[in-house]
Amino acid sequence: MEKPGPFKEPGLPRPNKNEVTMDVIIQAIINGILTGSYYGLAALGLTLVFGVIKVINFAHGSLLMVGMFAAYWIVMLTGWHPYAALILVVPMLFIFGYALQGIVIKPILEAQRDVREPTEVIIVTTGVWYILDNLALMSFGAQYRVVQTSMSGQIFMLGDYIFPKAQTYGLITTIVTSGLLLWFLKYTKMGKSIRAASLDRDAASLMGINQYRVYNIAFGIGAAIAGIVGCVLIPFYYVFPSVGVVFDVKCFIIVVLGGLGSIPGALIGGLIIGLIESLFAQYMASTWTELIVYVVFLAVLFIRPAGLFGEKRDW
Amino acid sequence: MNASSKRKTIDTILKIVLAGVVFTLPLWMTSPTYLQILILLFFYAYLTTCWNLVGGFAGVLPLGHSAYVGIGAYTSTVLFMTYGLSPWLGMFVGGIIAAIVGLIIGIPTLKLRGAYFALSTMAFGEGVRVLVENTMKIGPFEINGPRGISVPLKVGTPMENLFNYQFVDKLPYYYIILILLCIAIFITWFVSRIRPGYYIIAGGEEPEAAQALGINVARYKEMFMALSCFLTAFAGTFYAQLNLYFFPKGILSLDFSFELAFIALIGGRGTIAGPVIGALLLRPVGEFSRIYLSAVLPGLHLVIYGLVLILVMLFQPRGLVEPLTRFYNWILDKLSGERKEVKA
Amino acid sequence: MNKRTFWRNYLSIMVFAFACSLVFMAGTPVQAAGEKEIKIGNILPLSGPSASVGIQNQKAIELATEMINKAGGIKSLGGAKLVNIFTDSKGDPTVGVSAAEQLINTDKVSLISGCWNSAVTYPSTQVAERYQVPFLVPVSVADKITERGFKYTFRIAAKDSWWARDQFRFLEDMKKAHGTKLETIAFVYENGDWGTGMQKQWDILAKQYGYKVVLDEPYPSTASDLTPVALKIKNAKPDVILLTSNAADAILLTNTMATMKVKAKAIIGTGGGHADPMFRKNTAKNCEYMFDVVEWETDLGRPEIPKLNAEFKKRNGYDLAGESVDAFASVYVIADALERAKSADPKKIRDALAATNLCQGPKAPLGINILSYKCVGFDQTGQNKEAGIVLVQFRNVKGTMERVTVWPMDAARKGFKAVFPMP
Repeated sequence: MEKPGPFKEPGLPRPNKNEVTMDVIIQAIINGILTGSYYGLAALGLTLVFGVIKVINFAHGSLLMVGMFAAYWIVMLTGWHPYAALILVVPMLFIFGYALQGIVIKPILEAQRDVREPTEVIIVTTGVWYILDNLALMSFGAQYRVVQTSMSGQIFMLGDYIFPKAQTYGLITTIVTSGLLLWFLKYTKMGKSIRAASLDRDAASLMGINQYRVYNIAFGIGAAIAGIVGCVLIPFYYVFPSVGVVFDVKCFIIVVLGGLGSIPGALIGGLIIGLIESLFAQYMASTWTELIVYVVFLAVLFIRPAGLFGEKRDW
Repeated sequence: MNASSKRKTIDTILKIVLAGVVFTLPLWMTSPTYLQILILLFFYAYLTTCWNLVGGFAGVLPLGHSAYVGIGAYTSTVLFMTYGLSPWLGMFVGGIIAAIVGLIIGIPTLKLRGAYFALSTMAFGEGVRVLVENTMKIGPFEINGPRGISVPLKVGTPMENLFNYQFVDKLPYYYIILILLCIAIFITWFVSRIRPGYYIIAGGEEPEAAQALGINVARYKEMFMALSCFLTAFAGTFYAQLNLYFFPKGILSLDFSFELAFIALIGGRGTIAGPVIGALLLRPVGEFSRIYLSAVLPGLHLVIYGLVLILVMLFQPRGLVEPLTRFYNWILDKLSGERKEVKA
Repeated sequence: MNKRTFWRNYLSIMVFAFACSLVFMAGTPVQAAGEKEIKIGNILPLSGPSASVGIQNQKAIELATEMINKAGGIKSLGGAKLVNIFTDSKGDPTVGVSAAEQLINTDKVSLISGCWNSAVTYPSTQVAERYQVPFLVPVSVADKITERGFKYTFRIAAKDSWWARDQFRFLEDMKKAHGTKLETIAFVYENGDWGTGMQKQWDILAKQYGYKVVLDEPYPSTASDLTPVALKIKNAKPDVILLTSNAADAILLTNTMATMKVKAKAIIGTGGGHADPMFRKNTAKNCEYMFDVVEWETDLGRPEIPKLNAEFKKRNGYDLAGESVDAFASVYVIADALERAKSADPKKIRDALAATNLCQGPKAPLGINILSYKCVGFDQTGQNKEAGIVLVQFRNVKGTMERVTVWPMDAARKGFKAVFPMP
């Protein structure tokens, strides 16, 4: 029996009664950029895997989770600064990704040589997702953990505007990581092999590039980036076994928005999503910003399916 | 009678026996727990068979079908609560709305291939969920946002119960879902034999060739999408009437959409028996491990579920329907005394 | 066919046959009834997003059961032992319904306890009502649960509306006691069943008490970033912020508000996430001076609490919390009803439950004596009449962040007064 009471406007976003001043907008933009940068970083690994191996990796969120837990435990056990933990986390995750690809995904790619994007990979990666998330649940328990670091709660002030330290470092990390990645892909031999394999598997093979090794490495890099994201997130976000799920769908949206396989696309896509969430939330209930993100996503898909920076393939 | 027609006869007899067993099961297996398990099993089998019309035959991977289940549930329940319209009729209204929505989303996305289609259906499914969660009322209809809707409990005479689509006992629900499942299987069988069925299977496998032959593959895909969504909505109404409560995070969830897809994929997409077989395999595994293992080690049952998914995909990617069909044929051969030819 | 294919086929068929057999095995009872045993079914979220609280509830129930059994079990039934059967609801109502059906029809439990998530409790209690098996709800707070005219549903926790009522009463008392002016109020709540339910109550009460609502902000509980929400709150400049959050978002929001330097005269949580022991751990200094509403707190003036809490903490690594205490007490309520019913028959147990009148005192069981209110007794609708709440404030006590009871004034921890407004 519901008590009668005044209802908000049915079905419409609840308008914000408070005036949204320029100050607020600028702060919202700052927040949007900072948030968007780690969204983009999270999506970076996914777009690489997607672009090169052409498979939807539903286990990406779980890789993020593994990266976060790895970062968490290293910081807890050694007391190092989270960014120092990168030294360990990155190689660990790289090896993990490499092995995962080799054991679980490669057999399917081999068996389905002629199919461009085998759907079985989607199921397999989902299986990996369930397994990883729940192994984490069984090993670490369901509780939420946050690690207190020298950065926790610290901010930079620029005039009246707040720049949380941890997120700002995250922004810098994103820029550095993508820079490194771009350099790697453009100038190193392996990087070029990866690009070649992503354009045309068979032709690359003919050129003497070992397809599967390339895939393993690409996946490994994707996982390593997830590890970097883990170190970036740990100072201000909480880690728990299902944390990957929160980022998963968002990463997919960003990747498609930016264009499959495009690194600048992932970053810009991340920024866009971050800004949308931040700005629109000032004008309406934040639950509606979720919807707006989906609407934007669908709009991009219909108008320009290749995404903002994707190449016009016959996707 | 030669061996081949003998085989056919035995095949038909076996199928009739199976149907007979399934239809008379409740007469000798009266435990409500079993009935509940079977009802849910048939429910999933029905849903995946409907999903299969798009996901199997049209060769794409829709990952947002829970939206249509939700549309069915919400439409029939809301009409029932506001106008007293019998959920049976509301079911059809829900089906039509679901079909229209399916077309709206299908027409632009079915042109996209593979990953893009899958992701867009996912995004759309989630979009519907968020929309419903944020909506308390649409005009005179109470949607109730995230709190979900409780179907009002109405117990009356058997005629009233039939009208209200609500029964105290499990038996009627069992037969309803069983009949729905048979209808779905029949429809699947039927469309696979008529031309549009051929067209979209061809379109799925060799799109360039199909186009060269002048077949408008896209239009047929859209037809199947509409049909699939229409039928899926019926399951939504069934769910609402069975549980008498549903809410967005449950009925419109991504997990639900995924489960439908996986059951079909593991059973064997594009086949008639595949989805049913998939449901028969995955549902008990999920239920069983939850009942026995979850209290001991939380999460273990999902690990097992994940392992099953991976193993099946690695070793039987076309689904379990293949080896099972071979097994079935082998039995038929043995029974009809036909000598097996050496397989190439 | 070649060997490889043969083995593949064989394996697939075996797996399939195994799976089919599971359909039948699933119907067999989880535990056979022992000679002198009373079976209690427990439906809790042991996996999924509510797993952390579900498991806490489970541990509390297990401890209570162990203690009762050690003390001799149900004496009127010849020392019969209580046996708990736990099933995981995964936070999913359909699973809850199936679990209820299984517990009643296959395991033949005498009563059911559960389900923590209100969304799971609604339909599950309906199942029990259909089969006339008593269903005790220790924790779920949604008002509707006891407002459907059911005869077999009993609830221990206080209703949603009572929580809201006490939050506003507290504010009134604080206004008077500290002479603070409070005019504007903000509602920030998780966008689920619980949060939206609380918002409805708040809205009514805010109008009643003459507050101006400057912000009404539902947010998705699983949000990856709550900075926009924090920014909105800051911009609205409310005197009072009312929060309803689950564990994860409580942590994120509190930390984010601290980073964004969001201030108010009073910030009050509504239990749930704020009551979770992990909240304190993960927000360190940021939660200081915040208030929270809760059924129970470790520092209530009840002598048995410290020892019990120490035992629980030793076994599980964290304190008892309001909800786990409700679960703990519920087992005692069940035991008491069984003693009076002198039978394992669900109908008789139901009648015994309806007549419950367990009050604190030297003879009363441990589970009752630790509660924040005096007596457990159910009204016509199955609601525990006196279920009460207390307000606590997060305070730094000798280096550790503790929850200090500050209201009602007479239940406050000795030597502590509320710090109001927040500095």
